[in-house]
Amino acid sequence: MKYLRILVAVFKRPYYLILAVIIASFVFSVAVLLPSFQLLLIVSQTASLGELLSLTVSLYGAIASNFTFVSASYTIAIALLFGMNVALLTFYIQKMRTGIKGLRSTGLTGLGGLISGSLGIGCAACGTFIFTSVLTLIGISGVLAYLPFGGEEFGLLGVALLLYSVYSLTKKITHPLVCPIE
Amino acid sequence: MEEIKQKQPNQFLIPAAIVIAGLFVAGALYFSGTGSTPAPVVNNGNAQPVAQAPESTGSTDAVRPVTNEDHIKGSPDAPIKIVEYSDFECPFCKRFHDTMNEVMDKYGDSGEVAWVFRQFPLEQLHPVKAQAVAVASECAAELGGNDAFWKFSDGYFDVALTNNRTDIETVIPELVQEIGLDQEAFQACFESGKHDDRIAADIQNAIDTGGRGTPWSIMIGPDGTTYPINGAQPLAAVEQLIGIAQNTQ
Repeated sequence: MKYLRILVAVFKRPYYLILAVIIASFVFSVAVLLPSFQLLLIVSQTASLGELLSLTVSLYGAIASNFTFVSASYTIAIALLFGMNVALLTFYIQKMRTGIKGLRSTGLTGLGGLISGSLGIGCAACGTFIFTSVLTLIGISGVLAYLPFGGEEFGLLGVALLLYSVYSLTKKITHPLVCPIE
Repeated sequence: MEEIKQKQPNQFLIPAAIVIAGLFVAGALYFSGTGSTPAPVVNNGNAQPVAQAPESTGSTDAVRPVTNEDHIKGSPDAPIKIVEYSDFECPFCKRFHDTMNEVMDKYGDSGEVAWVFRQFPLEQLHPVKAQAVAVASECAAELGGNDAFWKFSDGYFDVALTNNRTDIETVIPELVQEIGLDQEAFQACFESGKHDDRIAADIQNAIDTGGRGTPWSIMIGPDGTTYPINGAQPLAAVEQLIGIAQNTQ
């Protein structure tokens, strides 16, 4: 409960809330629009700005059509948690003035969560997970057949790592480093 | 004596994290846009891989010209053509098939848009079945023409459980009977392997155009501009794109 109070206290401050929303929106946009990146580049060469914006907005509908329920859920969760992570980390650095040792492990957990989660995104259409490309690059794409969720495991792992990172950061904010008495 | 063990935060930590995240996003964009293909294995219908597709060159301009040999819904002379590379066992292809039928309901009768269906069975993801259904659909086309092909594909996607869960030994004969095809001729065609080359050519063209998964579609505009549609994009986006392509006339 006290961790929840800390989260509320941090995100009551507009600066950290806006930072989290901006980062979360960026991660979400990359995840949903990534498969259409090439299309948007081509359209931008001929279409008006209005047409380009309308197309971009309509492409956000891919979160429903181009993702499974599970992959859409963890994509949204990863975006929100990563936004929270960055905001909490910023808060921690600015307000607590702590040592690098604690920060490094927490920051790496958050980054690990983003990387793991990203392996599960790209869009869930058959064979288009980023993970598929990575496996193909090293010549073992057949391993996908042995994964029960076909690569979605990495998205779920990403959510778990980011959740741990948020918990860890909140804990550090709750219990700031003290000057030990020797 | 108290010893303060605090250290100043590393001023490079956040910029370094941002750079790493940026590199990762760049990598993701690279893999999304120009990365290599999951190299589908072309199968002869008897679960024996006979060829492996080479890596993608990734240009939508490499799309094979639409001819009378293609499976076309709508007017072959339509100014806008959407060439879809599809896998009958892919759940997103099933979704996009419905989307495309809605597109054709709106733009097909007026002759504005034509839908071209090409095969892209992903052997690693849907072994044996995707290829087998692709062969069956080609046999339906051979024995019953273009209409039979579309009846087969619409009918199959209607009942397909996808992800290799469809009972094709029940579903395919039922569809063949429903469409009214000669069952013996169909069986002979299905076992002949005569459509393997065509399916392999479709797979190769999908890869050449940058297809890395299914559904993979290319919209060809009136001026010849090619627009990639990656995955099961929503109806609203496809309609927006049709509008943009129409404005280039």
